[in-house]
Amino acid sequence: MKGIMFALAGGFFLTFQSVANATISKEIGTWQAAAMTQLTGFVVAILIVAFIRDQSYRQLNQVSPLYASGGALAAIVLFSNMTAVHRMGVTLTIGIFLIAQLVMAIIIDTKGWFDMSKKKINRMQIAGVMLMIAGVIILKW
Amino acid sequence: MAIGILLALVGGAFVCLQNTFNANVKKRVSVWSTTALVLFLGFAASFAAGLAIEGAGLFKFQAEPWFWFSGILGVGVVACVTQGVQILGPSRAISLIMVSQIFFGLMWDTLGWFGLEQVPFTWQSLLGVVLISSGVLLFQLGPKLEQKRFMNVDTNTLKADK
Repeated sequence: MKGIMFALAGGFFLTFQSVANATISKEIGTWQAAAMTQLTGFVVAILIVAFIRDQSYRQLNQVSPLYASGGALAAIVLFSNMTAVHRMGVTLTIGIFLIAQLVMAIIIDTKGWFDMSKKKINRMQIAGVMLMIAGVIILKW
Repeated sequence: MAIGILLALVGGAFVCLQNTFNANVKKRVSVWSTTALVLFLGFAASFAAGLAIEGAGLFKFQAEPWFWFSGILGVGVVACVTQGVQILGPSRAISLIMVSQIFFGLMWDTLGWFGLEQVPFTWQSLLGVVLISSGVLLFQLGPKLEQKRFMNVDTNTLKADK
């Protein structure tokens, strides 16, 4: 039950974040909004790291630089998310984001890219993506 | 509209890419240190892009006070998602998170909170959201259901649970 509440709250925060970013970017500009939300989030995160005396960042040198620099991709993610929410609302934006996310996950898993364990594509996964595409079409029809 | 769809497709693909990269960082570094690193790099990249595109104009803005607290939402995401995954396991947690995301999206469009343009509620949009949710559940939980039939044969497939 507790896990379910956390997962639901996680979804709530993700949507809230999209909405807040879109609103802020409308007021002060896309890159200003992206830089501001990432910077303030970083400040909170680094305070948490200090508070729990987390020293695991010392093992960062064992991580491939490619993976360690993944955070920079947020610039692309935030720009597309904010612009898409402006143009077509948050429901449709999330729907299409989820489809792209899962299709990309299928590609990465079947190819075994980026040190992910290679997995065969499953019929249920294809059916799931088809259902989602149908949902998006109905949403916007 | 077409541009919105294209951007959402690109954005979603990059979310997955970023999650994959972050998962590799988390093999060595704790969740919060990873989060701090990811947000710092996100800031640096957005700042650099803004500077390249707008030059000094990047610094000309008038922020309402609450804008400065928006980053807390990202921390809420990490905290809840991490707890959810720990308790429920990745497939069940992620499917619930995605379903929750899309339903809150519909609620938000309907209510038009936080300066979002209000989109009137229709039963059709609810049907769309229900279909998207069913698709997510099928995607995340379907493979597990199929595997159950072979559970006694190959226990290794159960470990491949992501």
